[in-house]
Amino acid sequence: MLSTLQPPRSLSLLPLRRFQSSRPIVSAAASSSSTISPPQSQILTTRRSLLSGETTAVEIAKSYLSRIRLTEPQLKCFLHVSENVLKDAEEIDQRIAKGEELGPLAGVLIGVKDNICTEGMPSTAASRILEHYRPPFDATAIKKIKELGGIVVGKTNMDEFGMGSTTEASAFQVTANPWDLTRVPGGSSGGSAAAVAARQCMVSLGSDTGGSVRQPASFCGVVGLKPTYGRVSRFGLMAYASSLDVIGCFGSTVADAGMLLHAISGYDRFDSTSSKQDVPEFQSQFLSVDHFESKPLKGVKVGIIRETLEDGVDSGVKSATQEAASHLEALGCILTEVSLPSFSLGLPAYYVIASSESSSNLSRYDGVRYGNQVMAEELNRLYERSRGEGFGGEVKMRILMGTYALSAGYYDAYYKRAQQVRTLIQKDFKAALEQNDILISPAAPSAAYKIGEKKNDPLAMYAGDIMTVNVNLAGLPAVVLPCGLVEGGPSGLPVGLQMIGAAFDEEKLLRVGHIFEQTLKGSGFVPPLLANVA
Amino acid sequence: MATRALLAVISASPSRCFISSSRIKIQSSVSSLSLNFQQHSRKIHRIARSYSSDTDSSLLQPPDVSRLAETARISLTPAEIEECETKIRRVIDWFGQLQQVDVNSVEPAIRAEMDGGNLREDSPETFENRFALIQFFQYGIVE
Repeated sequence: MLSTLQPPRSLSLLPLRRFQSSRPIVSAAASSSSTISPPQSQILTTRRSLLSGETTAVEIAKSYLSRIRLTEPQLKCFLHVSENVLKDAEEIDQRIAKGEELGPLAGVLIGVKDNICTEGMPSTAASRILEHYRPPFDATAIKKIKELGGIVVGKTNMDEFGMGSTTEASAFQVTANPWDLTRVPGGSSGGSAAAVAARQCMVSLGSDTGGSVRQPASFCGVVGLKPTYGRVSRFGLMAYASSLDVIGCFGSTVADAGMLLHAISGYDRFDSTSSKQDVPEFQSQFLSVDHFESKPLKGVKVGIIRETLEDGVDSGVKSATQEAASHLEALGCILTEVSLPSFSLGLPAYYVIASSESSSNLSRYDGVRYGNQVMAEELNRLYERSRGEGFGGEVKMRILMGTYALSAGYYDAYYKRAQQVRTLIQKDFKAALEQNDILISPAAPSAAYKIGEKKNDPLAMYAGDIMTVNVNLAGLPAVVLPCGLVEGGPSGLPVGLQMIGAAFDEEKLLRVGHIFEQTLKGSGFVPPLLANVA
Repeated sequence: MATRALLAVISASPSRCFISSSRIKIQSSVSSLSLNFQQHSRKIHRIARSYSSDTDSSLLQPPDVSRLAETARISLTPAEIEECETKIRRVIDWFGQLQQVDVNSVEPAIRAEMDGGNLREDSPETFENRFALIQFFQYGIVE
């Protein structure tokens, strides 16, 4: 658990020596030219400001709420903004005034994906069937955040029940990408990613079943961190596919995402799949590069997944990934190409497993225990009409696909076979990670696409998950961080580099990611929307 | 290879092995990727036989959306059935590529490897806010 003491001097991220990378990032237009120094941790900056008296939690909260008011009409990141933000901030200020101990997240403003239960606040999973649902309990991750002083700003938009890759499948609104308002932010945690990109909150929580944290992180130019399966309790996360779901973190820096992950990690007796593995002090990895020699990642073995850079990936994404690999090499990494022979099977296997498990998990939404109910004279009709009118099209489709795949006579052909393919994928990753410290790939085959472009073609939509689903099947941790810009939008579109680690080895991932980010020329990915917003 | 899965996704179309229906619409898949997606992969259309101990040697029946909806307790309008049928058949057809994988002697993995022994005692616990749970029975009723 993070202490309440001042962070050790070695963790200071300012000032930093600017690293001159060997080649410029491929971009149509650089990000904001005023951003020369590496991105700073919002969590540590907030803490320093509060403890020094430079500002108050209320002032910080007011500035973020003001930014939300200005940008929400265009972005629509939030389904619900908390009425208690200023009250919670005042409590933090009172504790500071009394000289009381402060948690490491004190005053940190956090967005929460709407499939994570927050007591007394709407939690709808962006579905009509839960339109008026206010949970009587907090998810374990939320409970931990609150205990450490974090302030929940609101509930962010998402694809309904996590089923989607664009946030267009929300029953309530479509979120826009802060880099180009005509494009999607990715999904299903698009609201959480866009909110961090637009600085509507400092960090946010999402969930990742097949890439739903990592892909929107790539599309929105922020850091997205998916932990090892079992690292974070799923209690209070509305289940989509129980063998794949994890709660993940967004931040504008690797350090922020890592510190948030540390705050929510740990064994939970309410989640039988949560791990009893010790949670290391991730913060110790976020050292200033001033403390390293010229090659701070000397000897780190990095495997580039061959199958992720072949046909079917946009040329701009390939170039950005290859430039990122060169940057890692310049930092001292040893790069090799690795092959995962079962890689291409991950996508169909994932969708069989996810839709099958979702058909079971969503059977609880029957209009009886919670959620909207459509009256009927007979019980089965009540179930059918409540679910028929409460669920959106994509959710219904996936439930039906899952029902088919689990039916008698089809179970072996689909679900069991997909699980056998999962074993093959796990073996491939294990072998590759025995030879390498981390693996890298693009986070998505393209940058963000236009709103509506793939809405009516499920297979085209599913194709975008090719880079991410295998990691969920294997249960491994991964981080996505922006590595470059490609053409598109007013100022270019961000693309993300995915780094994949061994199970429960988030420490190594975060160390490599942090150093990569802090030494990347032209880093500090700020969307053009913020140029006109204070 | 890729993105063999990507290429397979883009070129998937309803299998000829399924019972044809005049209601099936062939849709062309439009992708933002830079490939020519007009070539159909015949591999997608071959479905292996006798891969399930519970099936006989005949081909798997295509999904009957109405029956599936009844099983899943979801009401669908006729328009929804028609739309779903086309999309689901394409996706199920695409799932078919898994049949070509040699999984002989491969154990199915139900989840990622994890440390075990996390089961709680089989004894009930009273939730501290029972009233909050019960009140949901009274909300959200739509006529």
